[in-house]
Amino acid sequence: MSFLGGAECSTAGNPLSQFTKHVQDDKSLQRDRMVGRGPGGMQEGMRSQQMGGGSNEMMNEFMQQPAQLPQGHGPASPFALEHMRRELERLDQAQHQRSGSPAWAAEFDPGMEAPQAMGPGMQERPAGFSPAEFAKYQQMTPNARTASPTVNAPMGYQRPMGFGGMGMNGMGMGGMGMGMGGMGMMHQPYAPQNFQQPMQDSGKGKGRMVELDDHDWEAQFAQLEKTDQHQHLDALDAEANAHIEAELNEMDRSVEQEAVDFGDFESIWKGIQAETEHARQLANEENFVDGMHMGDMDQWEGFDGLNTHSASDPPFSDYLPEQLNPFTESVNPFEDGVKIMEEGGNLSLAALNFEAAVQKDPQHVAAWVKLGEAQAQNEKETPAIRALEQALKLDPSNLDALMGLAVSYTNEGYESTAYRTLERWLATKYPSLLKEPLSSDADMGFTDRHLLHEKVTNLFIEAAQLSPSGEQMDPDVQVGLGVLFYSVEEYDKAVDCFGAALASTESGTSNSSLQVHLLWNRLGATLANSGKSEEAIDAYSRALSLRPNFVRARYNLGVSCINIGCFTEAAQHLLGALAMHKFIQSEGQEVVREMAQKNGFSEAHTNDLIQQNQSTNLYDTLRRVFGQMGRRDLADIVGPGMDVDKFRGEFEF
Amino acid sequence: MSLKSAAIPSSVAFDAISASLSSSDADRKDAIKKGGAIFAFTIKNGDKTESWYIDLKETGTVGKGAAPEGKKANVTLVMSDKDFQALIDGKANAQKLFMSGKLKVKGDVMKAQKCEPILKKARAQSKL
Repeated sequence: MSFLGGAECSTAGNPLSQFTKHVQDDKSLQRDRMVGRGPGGMQEGMRSQQMGGGSNEMMNEFMQQPAQLPQGHGPASPFALEHMRRELERLDQAQHQRSGSPAWAAEFDPGMEAPQAMGPGMQERPAGFSPAEFAKYQQMTPNARTASPTVNAPMGYQRPMGFGGMGMNGMGMGGMGMGMGGMGMMHQPYAPQNFQQPMQDSGKGKGRMVELDDHDWEAQFAQLEKTDQHQHLDALDAEANAHIEAELNEMDRSVEQEAVDFGDFESIWKGIQAETEHARQLANEENFVDGMHMGDMDQWEGFDGLNTHSASDPPFSDYLPEQLNPFTESVNPFEDGVKIMEEGGNLSLAALNFEAAVQKDPQHVAAWVKLGEAQAQNEKETPAIRALEQALKLDPSNLDALMGLAVSYTNEGYESTAYRTLERWLATKYPSLLKEPLSSDADMGFTDRHLLHEKVTNLFIEAAQLSPSGEQMDPDVQVGLGVLFYSVEEYDKAVDCFGAALASTESGTSNSSLQVHLLWNRLGATLANSGKSEEAIDAYSRALSLRPNFVRARYNLGVSCINIGCFTEAAQHLLGALAMHKFIQSEGQEVVREMAQKNGFSEAHTNDLIQQNQSTNLYDTLRRVFGQMGRRDLADIVGPGMDVDKFRGEFEF
Repeated sequence: MSLKSAAIPSSVAFDAISASLSSSDADRKDAIKKGGAIFAFTIKNGDKTESWYIDLKETGTVGKGAAPEGKKANVTLVMSDKDFQALIDGKANAQKLFMSGKLKVKGDVMKAQKCEPILKKARAQSKL
């Protein structure tokens, strides 16, 4: 539809000039192409259907005009049968020659439909000779001669030519409904030209004969014809311009419509961005972001409960120590705890010691960090996050706390926070690498999250490049990178990173003897989540051989056993992990409940309090194992406060 | 009640998903919130074809057949047993399967995108 340009439109607006141009140009070439083609797909033209309606009119037209025929250009007498017979022969010829119309049509694309439609009309003619056809025939033949002096020129060929020109013309103006419209037009130039038929008549005839998609356009064309005939070119231009303008306006309107739609989308988009800042409201917008990778954002819902920056839910934002802590009276609980950790003792005991330590001295950063680490290893993610956040409040640049927190956030699915925490870690350890200010809490959109991940990953890669290659790389940087890859499910890369950290001879926090079991567990978890459960089990075994009481590794081992279908083993590992928690259960819960009732907390709140230092994760997973084993009876017993020993009969742990 | 079908080995996953949905109320509610639709899976193994549904619209349950009784699935995912297994194992990605024509989606394609996190539930997640 490149014809829409105004200039083209108006100069080409004279159909006659187009007509002659086409008729006189390179006919031989096109005729050649048409020869020898089989008549295909031309049977369903609209000509034959539409002829009926217009036929009487046509006949009338013809009858009104005969006197003028001699003035025409035909050499023969107007009504001679002889002439007609000759023309019929030519029609036959034309029929053959026209048969190649598809190729021809391809060249004159806009007019394509009409020439094809012509075919049947032409073909039918020799068989039956209705008055209408006769009239039409008379209209056409002189014209054919006028247009082209060559007597042998196939009529059917010329007509489409002229028509093609007009079709294109119309295209330029209206851009629509060419083929159909063109059909009707055809007769107009012929009629006025050869018979000097009054315009309105032809208008009527045309109106009936042709079914137009676009009646406006047709009328417009009729007017153009009239003005054209009287050489009112200015008027023609004006008309054309007016029509173009109308068309353009219409297009504009549709574009505007789209623009409006787009505007809608934009506002929604902005809305979403605003929403992400208030993560809690996000779910309301869910429908708009269905198509995008948005699912994980849901997890931000209720995140405020964990976020220390939000004061909305204090009971969840602060670490809630166990109520019944036998170590509160000990002289130096922190050192006791550290000792338990180093010896690979019971993590619950260690945690209780650190709790006692921070109760004695809430400013004891190291105790908070250790508490967080102990809880994380004890498969108690939520308390771990609270403790580590507390440590960061006291000391924002504590590397251990930052790394531990990043890992915990990743486990819990708080990716953006994990990325920012890693960024802070890097900014603390490699301040020279950071060229921009740290990312703020505000930008939480999903695209932002992706960018943030990219940015932090690049920073870590730069940091990794700072140290010499090979075994001297900073293992902590590798761990950070591993966590970053893990969180976007690039497990292969993450495995490489954790493997590199394990292989590194450079001493860092993460591969120190105190933490190397964590590294094995991380490697195992990455392998497990990438579907390599068997290799993962190997890594977990390494971790557990270093620290038999490493509850998280035991839990992970159980998970991998589930994933390879060894449910009994899975149950044993999970029960074993729960047994290590047992120390702090039983009475402790009663104390919490009593205290809650004293303070008038609601039932739900009380349950939250009881569960907040529990590992719901372990219970859920165990329940799931029993479910998959088909042991609903066992699954129903599983829950906080259950007696692990009940399962001793069936499972060894 | 096992949902597994001998003809379709990968259908063990439906048992796993069912177990994970029923093992934790929080999980189930979370899944319903994230899914919000009835997902049907039509899995072909050789000349055998069977269907399962995961109702994450109301009940949060898994069952045999194209949809829960009296309801209609919002989206149906059609794939081979092998591809479904790969999807469950996390070795394939639903989008890639879809692009390569191995996964066909009938119904709401947008909803289909939500099923990946649901399928992940078939596997317990390990922790770093």
